[in-house]
Amino acid sequence: MQQYTPWVTAMSQALAVGDPEAFGAALVGFDCARNCDVTMRVRLVASGLQGALKRFHVDSKLIDLAHHQVPDARHQLAYVLRLTDDAAHRTMDLVEQCCPLADQIAHQAERLIAAQGSVAPQEPIKAQIGQFLKQAATSMAAVRSNLSEVLLTQGYQDLSGQIIRSVMALVDELERALGHLVRIAGAGAGAGTDAGTDADTGADSERGSGSGCTARGHGPSVPGVDHGPAVRGQQDVDDLLSDLGM
Amino acid sequence: MQQNLNILVVDDFSTMRRIIKNLLHDLGYASVSEADDGNTALPLLKSGNFNFLITDWNMPGMPGLELLKQVRADARLGSMPVLMLTAEAKRDQIVEAVQAGVNGYVIKPFTAATLKEKIDKIMASRAAA
Repeated sequence: MQQYTPWVTAMSQALAVGDPEAFGAALVGFDCARNCDVTMRVRLVASGLQGALKRFHVDSKLIDLAHHQVPDARHQLAYVLRLTDDAAHRTMDLVEQCCPLADQIAHQAERLIAAQGSVAPQEPIKAQIGQFLKQAATSMAAVRSNLSEVLLTQGYQDLSGQIIRSVMALVDELERALGHLVRIAGAGAGAGTDAGTDADTGADSERGSGSGCTARGHGPSVPGVDHGPAVRGQQDVDDLLSDLGM
Repeated sequence: MQQNLNILVVDDFSTMRRIIKNLLHDLGYASVSEADDGNTALPLLKSGNFNFLITDWNMPGMPGLELLKQVRADARLGSMPVLMLTAEAKRDQIVEAVQAGVNGYVIKPFTAATLKEKIDKIMASRAAA
């Protein structure tokens, strides 16, 4: 209010002495003072709005992370736990199947070695050797098959590794969003004009949208985590390829 | 031994490369080389005499889909059979791979029988063409 006092006084005096030029000049001065005040108020409102928008951007990102991506990550880690558990049990099952076969072959071989050294007639040994070789062929085929499956079972490391990488990317994103929030809170409501923070926020949102890029891949499909229509196994893939004319 | 194929296996996980290499050896393919992403695979493909490519999709550096596109765009490598062996299971991704010119698509986790079946199928269709 005080900024208008000189102009109001000047207008009052010009009116009293009947000086229209002085009155006009005082009126122009009063108008300028009023406009300056309005401009300053508009600037303050704009600055406040910018700060609010920035907070809203970070807030909406955090809300999305908290509501969707963090629960997804929990499902993903639970799936990794199941993958590693299944793989460890399958590997141990296969090893447990192989051990008695190896023991059996070793014991039969030891018996034959002992029999070879005895003075008993050789004819029964020949039959035993024949039976042993037959047994060895069958057992070794089973051991070989189990070893191949043990090898394939190690594929869990690739799948779980891809999932862990995506959870690490989420933790990165969460850290950046929280960092922004802390910076904004620390700078106060009036500090919404920091151009550097604007640039950072833009880059983050770009990185965020890029993480779901089809060209780079989404990683393994995790039960309970929705990534759009997905195939459920090789048969689905083959059906789709067949539909596409392959 | 089926020694007529020189296969390049591209996967960022060394465990998966070992698994595929071992399975290929079991299937009779003795000549198998490895690369850990598209950026390392492409120079190998351009300088070597590979005639079959097995690639993962999701890899740091150059992903498998980009590698496939680069192979198809190369005059010398363009007709090379490419089998995608990946955990990427979205239907639109499979469609995209087909549009980019993939010859076969195997989803992880996979079996030795599936790998054999897909390689045999690709080679049979090549022989018939």
